Amino acid sequence: MGRFLVPAAFAALFAAPLWFMVVGSLRPAGLPPPRTFEVLPPEPTVAAYARLPELIPLFRYLANSALVVAVAVPLTVIVASLTGFGLRLLTPVARRRAVLGLLAVLLVPVTAVWATRFELFRLAGVVDTYVPLLAPALLAGSPFLVLLYAWSFGGVPDTQLGAARLEGAGWLTIWRRVALPQVRPATLAVGVLAFTLHWSNLIDPLLYLQSGDRYTYPLGLQFLRLLNPTDWPLLMAACVVATAPCVVVFLLAQRILLNDDPLAALRSGGRR
Amino acid sequence: MSNGRVSRPLTAWAFLAPYVVAVALLIALPALLNVGYAFTDHTGLTRDPRFVGLDNARRLLADGFLADSIRASAIHLALAVPLRLLAAIGLGLLLAAPRPGGRWFRVAVYLPTVVPDVALAVLFLWVLNPLYGPLNQLLGLFGHPGMNWLAEPGSARLAVALMLAFPIGEGFIVVLAARRMLDGRLYEAAALEGCGPFGQLRRLTLPLLAPVLLLLAVRDTILTLQVNFVPAYVLTDGRPANATLYLPVYIFDQVFEFSGFAYGAMITSVLMVVTAVIITALLLMVRRWRVLR
Repeated sequence: MGRFLVPAAFAALFAAPLWFMVVGSLRPAGLPPPRTFEVLPPEPTVAAYARLPELIPLFRYLANSALVVAVAVPLTVIVASLTGFGLRLLTPVARRRAVLGLLAVLLVPVTAVWATRFELFRLAGVVDTYVPLLAPALLAGSPFLVLLYAWSFGGVPDTQLGAARLEGAGWLTIWRRVALPQVRPATLAVGVLAFTLHWSNLIDPLLYLQSGDRYTYPLGLQFLRLLNPTDWPLLMAACVVATAPCVVVFLLAQRILLNDDPLAALRSGGRR
Repeated sequence: MSNGRVSRPLTAWAFLAPYVVAVALLIALPALLNVGYAFTDHTGLTRDPRFVGLDNARRLLADGFLADSIRASAIHLALAVPLRLLAAIGLGLLLAAPRPGGRWFRVAVYLPTVVPDVALAVLFLWVLNPLYGPLNQLLGLFGHPGMNWLAEPGSARLAVALMLAFPIGEGFIVVLAARRMLDGRLYEAAALEGCGPFGQLRRLTLPLLAPVLLLLAVRDTILTLQVNFVPAYVLTDGRPANATLYLPVYIFDQVFEFSGFAYGAMITSVLMVVTAVIITALLLMVRRWRVLR
């Protein structure tokens, strides 16, 4: 019994905020504060969702976000997989050095690059376009995504790479034809995580986007919060709209990322 | 030696090149420029910065807000990093063992990580709301009168740290995978020797995972120093009484709101040095424990 009770309690704790989000969005507007903890509001309604597009250009924001994600996610996957494959080809000693070098670079605070990166993009004349929003994609989104690929490519045997090489295949071909097909689940997982990263990005749009009709959805949500700071059902509905795509997409990849044996699951391409 | 093996290091670096170039252009170059701008009077509005020597450094020493900001960041680091590490490592080890339906427990733990951070912050504005918020109502069930979370410096700091204890998915997965890589036979042997679950944790799991845990601690320290921008910006905007005026928030204000580009660059350079010192201290401490040889 205890084997399930403790994990279940923690699972409930971590799921609780999402539950509060959904329940909060279903409260009728203008209701007095509840007297005690309520699992469901009295007379739940979806009216807040209907009011959302009346107050902000909801579909424009969502379309902008979708556009950014459509470019940024493939870019992230390509950079992460190239880098992960590069790490796989290094000798163990060189790999440790590369990882240490990477760590040193990551010591640079993000805030350190806000101002001067802005200056660079301003000199390039791309402020108020989506180009600066692709910068995180060129950095593979997060070192974690590179790590996922490095783990996965670790399962591709040296003999296979050598054999392909003997047949005269170039390294790019080997990456595309030999290595990538064996780690399809990793590609799915990285794609999903890249989606959540780019879909959630608030800081870059906040810094670089000035025209209201170019806002991505997270910026729109921040804008809505400044507009209606106390309309909680409305704000929670907006949060649900922001979160739902990430949750749906994540559920596609949970079988791989949260498997009993994640390393095997990342590598089981083509066979399952 | 076959031809393929000889050319391999070069090939590997060719694959790493796009990432290395991006890091150089988007992180290293701006970071270096930052150090240069720190000694100018650049406002971010004009294009001809003048060299002003140590003016910004002098301003740094006399800036009371900066002192508040550093204190806020230090307290946040002390609260949030142990909390996040404990959550990621504890839950990772707790939920690593295969059990029926075990994956869904992990899914629940990972879910807050996929919530966009601005949505998570707005959600916590609601959860922490003194009148309507579910947290105070939950406390009410236990007879506690509830708190005005974001109005008091202490509870506001706690609230931000609490909120950041939820998105811990990356560390959680790393621990899950690392635990999985440990040899099961070691545990069988330990059990035969009469080593209980806590003995196994202390004698086997933690020492074997030490390098991974160290990496997580380093990464989380960096993340925590920097990633509290969105929650603080949305939740409190540095209030109350500068209790959550973390360094990223203060730098953002200086650079993008008060036209203090050069001064912001100076603070940032200091933050870089501080981060490097903290990480180096962490690594030296650990080297002493001989977990990393």
